[in-house]
Amino acid sequence: MAFIQTHFFSTSLCFGTDLNVFIPTPNVDELMVPGGADYYHPGAKFQVLYLLHGGYGDYTDWMRLTSIERYAQAHKLAVIMPSASNSFYQNMHYGSDYLTYVTQELPELCQSLFPISCKRENTFVGGLSMGGYGAVKVALTKPESFSHVFSLSGALDVMSTLESVSDGNRMTPLNPYTGEHTFAMDPVAVFGTTDVRGTDADLFALAEKVKQEGRPLPRLFQSVGTEDFLWASNQGAREKFRALGMDVTYEEHPGAHEWNYWDTNVQRALNWLPLTGSTVEE
Amino acid sequence: MAHLDCSFYSPSLRKNAKVIVFLPTMSADDYLFNDDHPRYFAKGAKYQTLYLLHGSYGDCMDWSLFANAERYAQEHCLAVVMPSAENSSYVDMQYGEDYLTYITRELPAFLSTLFPLSEKREDTFIAGLSMGGGGTFRAAFARPELYGAAASLSGGLDKALSKTSSEAHSVKMPKNYRQACFGDSAVPTPGGKDDLRAALKACVDEGKTLPRLYHVIGEDDFLREGGEAFLAYAKSLGVEIEYKLHPGVHNWDFWDTYLKEVLEWLPLANDMV
Repeated sequence: MAFIQTHFFSTSLCFGTDLNVFIPTPNVDELMVPGGADYYHPGAKFQVLYLLHGGYGDYTDWMRLTSIERYAQAHKLAVIMPSASNSFYQNMHYGSDYLTYVTQELPELCQSLFPISCKRENTFVGGLSMGGYGAVKVALTKPESFSHVFSLSGALDVMSTLESVSDGNRMTPLNPYTGEHTFAMDPVAVFGTTDVRGTDADLFALAEKVKQEGRPLPRLFQSVGTEDFLWASNQGAREKFRALGMDVTYEEHPGAHEWNYWDTNVQRALNWLPLTGSTVEE
Repeated sequence: MAHLDCSFYSPSLRKNAKVIVFLPTMSADDYLFNDDHPRYFAKGAKYQTLYLLHGSYGDCMDWSLFANAERYAQEHCLAVVMPSAENSSYVDMQYGEDYLTYITRELPAFLSTLFPLSEKREDTFIAGLSMGGGGTFRAAFARPELYGAAASLSGGLDKALSKTSSEAHSVKMPKNYRQACFGDSAVPTPGGKDDLRAALKACVDEGKTLPRLYHVIGEDDFLREGGEAFLAYAKSLGVEIEYKLHPGVHNWDFWDTYLKEVLEWLPLANDMV
C-alpha cells in the first residue's frame, strides 16, 4: 500500500500543484498467504481511477474523509487524486486550465511516472458533487481514454446549479475575515457566463456531441442520496443521459450530501467498475 | 526543526489550502554541541515569525525545495510560514480568491491559534521573491500595524515597467489569469485597490507607521528598473526603503544567498520570545 504525495510544476496551471497517488503494493495480510502478493512481473500495470474532489475541497479530501486507500487495495486499483480548486474542472474563463490539466497533462505525467495501464478498458474517472460533474466532463472530453465514469451526488445538471446560484437559493459559507458569504464557484470566472446551455459545459449537449461524432460513450454509474439537494436534478440527468443512449446504472440510497454517503457508496462504485482484482498486462 | 505540512479549509480561498510552517526545535547540532541553544518549549515562549512568499509559477514548497530557508531560519530560531497564492499577485482577485485577505488577516489569526507564534508587531515579519516581493509590500501597506519589517527580494514592484522586460512571462502567463486578478484590463487600475503606489501613498497620507522596508535585487535582474522606479516614488513620499544591489540575476542562487542577508537585517532575537 504505497501512498505517494507528489508535488510538481504544472504547465497547464502555471504553478506548483499537489497530487495524492495510491499504488497497491503487497500488504501484511497478503504476505501471510502463499502467492497472495504476486504483484510484480515485467510489464504488469494497475487499473487506474482518477478520483475528483468537490467544491471547497482539494486533493487531500478523499484520503482524509473516506477509507479509499483500503478499498482500492482490496481491488488492487491505483488511485490518482488531483486538486482543481473550484473550477468545475473547466479551462476557466478567468483562471487556470483545469480541464487540460486533468484530461491531458495529468494522465501523461502519471502514465510516465507510475505503473498504471494506458488502456481505455482499465482507465476510470469518478468524483463527488462538483467532482461528479467533473468526472463526466472529463470522460466525455476524452471518451477514447476513459471507459467508465462514476458520479456520487454529482452536480451533473450545471444549468440548475447556476440557476440556484443566481437565485440566491444556495447556502453559502461565511468568510469571517471579510464578513462576506460566497458560493464556491464564481460562474463568470469559471464559464464567462451564467448561461452555458448547449455549450461543452452542458454535459447533456456534450454527450450528444460525442454521440454525433461517433465516438464511444463511457458507461456511467450515478448515485445520489434521497435527502440530497441534488436528488431531483440527478433524476433528470439520468433520463437525459439514457435518452442519449448512454449506459447508466442509477442508484439512490437514504442519505444526504455528506461524507458518510460518499464513503459508503464509493465502495459500490468500485464494485460496479470492471476491476480485475489483480495487475493487468500490457 | 519541525516542518509542518498543514492542509485546512480556508474561508478566504473557499477551498482547502496548504501552508508550510517551519518551527525551530532542537536540532542535532543543538543537541550535540550547543548547550546554549534557544529555550525551545519554554512555558509561554513564542516564536518570532517570518511570512515568506513565493513568486509567480510557484507555490508554498518553493522556499523549502529550492533554497535553504529552513536551515537559515533554524540558525535564527525563527518560525517561517510559507503559504500558496497561485499567480494571484497577492491581491483579492477580481474573479477568484481573496489572497490578500488570506495572507494578511486569515493566516496570522488562524496560525497563532494553532502554533506558538508571537502576535507582536516587533516579532512579525514578511518577505518574498519576485511576485512575492511585490506581495510583501502589498501586505505591508495593507496592514502596516501587523509587521515590524518587510523585505522584497527581486520584487516585482512596478507592473508597467516590468512588462516589457520579460517576454516569456507576458506570453506564457495566460492573459485570462491576469484578468482574473485585476479585471479585464489585466493590470492594476491606477489609483485602484491593487495599485502598489496608491497603497503606499494612502499609508503616508493617513500617517500610518510603516514597517521597516528593504529591497534587494540583482544587477542584471529584469525587474531592477521597475524596482528602482518604485523606490524613487517611495522616496518622493518621504518613505525610505533600504536598497541593496548585488551581482546576480532573477534566480534561486540569488534568493538563497540574499535570504541570509535579509535574516541578518531583520531584528531577530535568535531565541524564543
